Amino acid sequence: MTRATAPAHTQAMPDTVHARDGSDRSIVVERLTRDFGELRAVDGVDLQIPSGEIFGFLGPNGAGKSTLVKMLTTILKPTAGSATVAGLDISRQQGKVRQAIGVALQDVGLDPIMTARELLVMQAQLFGASTSAARQTATRLLETVGLDDVDPKKRVGEFSGGMKRRLDLALALAHDPLVLFLDEPTTGLDPASRMAIWDEVRRLNAERGMTIFLTTQYLEEADKLADRVAIINHGRIVALGTPSELKRDLGEEVVELSFDSPDHAEQAAAALADAAPECRLGDSGLRCYFAVAAHEVPAIVRALDQAGIPLRGLTIARPSLDDVFLRATGETMAEEASAPPDDEQTEEVR
Amino acid sequence: MNDFFVMIRRSLVGFLRQPAALIPSFAISVFFLFVYNGGLGSVAKLPGFQGSYLGFIIPVSIASAAISGAGLAGQALIRDIDSGYFTKLLLTPTRRLALVWGPMVAAAVILVAQVVAIVVIGLLMGLRSATGVAGLALVIGFAFLWGMAFAGFTVYFALRTKNAAAAQAATFIFFPLIFLSTTFVPLKYISAGWLKVAAAINPTTYVFAAMRSLLNEGWKAGPLLVGLAVTVAFATVTGALALYQARKATQLT
Repeated sequence: MTRATAPAHTQAMPDTVHARDGSDRSIVVERLTRDFGELRAVDGVDLQIPSGEIFGFLGPNGAGKSTLVKMLTTILKPTAGSATVAGLDISRQQGKVRQAIGVALQDVGLDPIMTARELLVMQAQLFGASTSAARQTATRLLETVGLDDVDPKKRVGEFSGGMKRRLDLALALAHDPLVLFLDEPTTGLDPASRMAIWDEVRRLNAERGMTIFLTTQYLEEADKLADRVAIINHGRIVALGTPSELKRDLGEEVVELSFDSPDHAEQAAAALADAAPECRLGDSGLRCYFAVAAHEVPAIVRALDQAGIPLRGLTIARPSLDDVFLRATGETMAEEASAPPDDEQTEEVR
Repeated sequence: MNDFFVMIRRSLVGFLRQPAALIPSFAISVFFLFVYNGGLGSVAKLPGFQGSYLGFIIPVSIASAAISGAGLAGQALIRDIDSGYFTKLLLTPTRRLALVWGPMVAAAVILVAQVVAIVVIGLLMGLRSATGVAGLALVIGFAFLWGMAFAGFTVYFALRTKNAAAAQAATFIFFPLIFLSTTFVPLKYISAGWLKVAAAINPTTYVFAAMRSLLNEGWKAGPLLVGLAVTVAFATVTGALALYQARKATQLT
């Protein structure tokens, strides 16, 4: 089985660079590279994200997701390459970039002995708001993220993971940023909290025209929220496009073949080299991509029969973003999601 | 709103919400005052001892309160680094130095409050200052400067190690600083040669000498100038270390 080749990702910059109010809310990344000693964590990434887009950024652990986000949010220095966020250079205009962006990073914490309101007021003040304006902002944002009914004396240390995430989102919004970076905003949250964050992200994008750069390990999240999705693996972008484009690139339909043992699945992959050239080994067996699957099924069954490999099941389905991920990285997202936490994926919200 | 002011106020609120970090160290300072004044008070009857033993021992209590107050600065930074909140602050346009100055100035406020309380307790116990109120104010000034020197030291260690246990361990310098000195008896009565040497190279000795001269002897330029020079030199060294480490910790890598 050959390794997936990356679909072309050098797309022309869409012409909506500027938002309705004329402000530049785009993210433009050129050959951005970051080394940690011998390791090249981010390897010459190019990206053009127009104003007002929700951009989903997917990748296995250690693929370079967080490293890229840290560079774009000015807390990590690039080794090479350049980027602008909201038209501002991340290396030369760090102060202005910080003023223009809101950031909710996964491994960034909250002071546990302060209350939600105190943290919000302080955040707004540090971004230059007067005391009275900061208080108004805090009231509005507590309402926005649904924390206005929490006991005002309750300290953040006593908050649940979901409450902390909502407060962190509110803090990222304290200065009404042009571009919002969310690093795995719903990891470890229950479905109801996840939905609440999704609704809020959609609303911010629709009503305020915020550009939203979102990393996630949930394909469903990227599929539902993002206008476009990029997949990063070993520091390089291996797939880029709208979720439907990416799925269409794979072929219209996918044939899922299941077997009694993983050995059979591997033998089948070899036996089907001619009948089904676009196949990937996944968790559940073999997944083969075709324009019209029904035409190919007889050939598949014949080839397996000739090779003496018993087939347990055969299903025809539409490709999912999981298929895109599998093809682009050679790994399944499900494996990644259950991998032990490392610094890119911390289960516990601090 | 000035970011320095926001950071200072926030650190102060943090300190006051964690009285467990304040009360024990203050209690130790008061303990020095009562126990040693009561137990060793007769030292003042030795020939050649000038002034009261209370005036002699209260600088120890003051120095101890100053050190514990100053140590809060490092602890506050460690707490922010541990919780990840320090990174969150780095993502704001806050001036980088405000992030370090906030806890240092707040610790200084706590330190001065503690020192003033010790002085008041001393006065209630019968302390008489040979140089009056101005001398008492100078004693508090010395305590402040000396505390800030120590704060610089704890901030340096906090930012360097980014580890609560290591920074905590660094505050153990408190013990040699306080005890390897003319803590309980004047230098001329110390018989152990090693302790004489340790006391002579310990900057605390000169701070004690300056404070004691103010409380027990009257206006004397010698001990005051030496005390001031030693304190300023000590504060300059630790301040430079703290500044260097703060630049490093807030700089992009």
